[in-house]
Amino acid sequence: MAVVFACAASHAPGITAWTEAAPKEQADKIIGSYHKLQAMLDATKPDALLAISVEHWANFFLNQMPTFCIGRADHYDGPVEEWLRISKSRIPGDSQLSAELLDGCLEAGFDLSFSDELLFDHATMLPIHFLTPRMDIPVVPLILNTLTPPMPSPKRCYALGRVLGETLEKHSKRIAIVATGGLSHWPGEAKHGKINIPFDKRFLDILTTGDRSQLAGYTHEEINVEAGSGGHEIRTWITLAGAVPDWKATLLAYEPVVPWATGCGLVTFSRS
Amino acid sequence: MSLYQLQKLIYHVNRDEAQRERYRQNPAEFIKGYDLTEQEAAAALNVDVRALYTLGVHSLLLRPFTLLHKVSNEDYAKALAGLE
Repeated sequence: MAVVFACAASHAPGITAWTEAAPKEQADKIIGSYHKLQAMLDATKPDALLAISVEHWANFFLNQMPTFCIGRADHYDGPVEEWLRISKSRIPGDSQLSAELLDGCLEAGFDLSFSDELLFDHATMLPIHFLTPRMDIPVVPLILNTLTPPMPSPKRCYALGRVLGETLEKHSKRIAIVATGGLSHWPGEAKHGKINIPFDKRFLDILTTGDRSQLAGYTHEEINVEAGSGGHEIRTWITLAGAVPDWKATLLAYEPVVPWATGCGLVTFSRS
Repeated sequence: MSLYQLQKLIYHVNRDEAQRERYRQNPAEFIKGYDLTEQEAAAALNVDVRALYTLGVHSLLLRPFTLLHKVSNEDYAKALAGLE
């Protein structure tokens, strides 16, 4: 059946953990947009959800840091954070689909790592909480290293996206894809609270109206300086852009939410 | 400098309940289990936010560690004032 739904969204923990700290208009816009995405996803009746995600020391440390890691488990527990205000849940996996994606990537020259046991932190759990609140759609997580350098290049991420898209297009299941993270933020750093609105808007502009392959041209240095350590998460959006290169991207919301210390964006994709 | 060992200590306290409990019981003894310089050991024992940050501890290891010690957002930001 192939890919039936695709979206990209920020996972700033403040969205659920300190909702009230944000100006009501901004919080309503972001959460309202998440609800819109949920309705759109629901309408496509997906069999599984590929979550192109990241993590923050929940599973991996510097003794073993995979560049790309696919979850191959039958279920995943999360969130690891006690303070996220999302209940501890067990999310079903689709180990068969995970294995098929892994095979497809290896065949195409992407030597992904895999894991049969992963915990979910806010990066994966927050979007799932909004997009599949009944938590009944099996999830295949693909964790990108955007935490500690060296990270996969945006060019490599875009190319991986192409392979994922081609593999999924041939699949018999109905697959939804969510990319999570970004946009600009400097969490826990001296610059915590800084948001680079021009960077975020330019990125969203290229995604929604420009030549999407430009996304592959971002460099680590540019992202580091302009979007912060948290901005490296835009690699998940770039991966998704590679997976659905001909789909039209529509901006649902962009809000620079200072109390959440993140430029928050949500984009939906549709077949042209 | 053994930043790896320092970050490993913090990662263990943050992520492993049993290790966190051992740390809580006797932080000085727990810290001895890691191969740290005197400066690193002192920064860890004192939860010296500025020192730990300057030593290179990743912000997403550091902030959860400080949250375990009930360091407020305000105090955390104050500790990093003026740094890059």
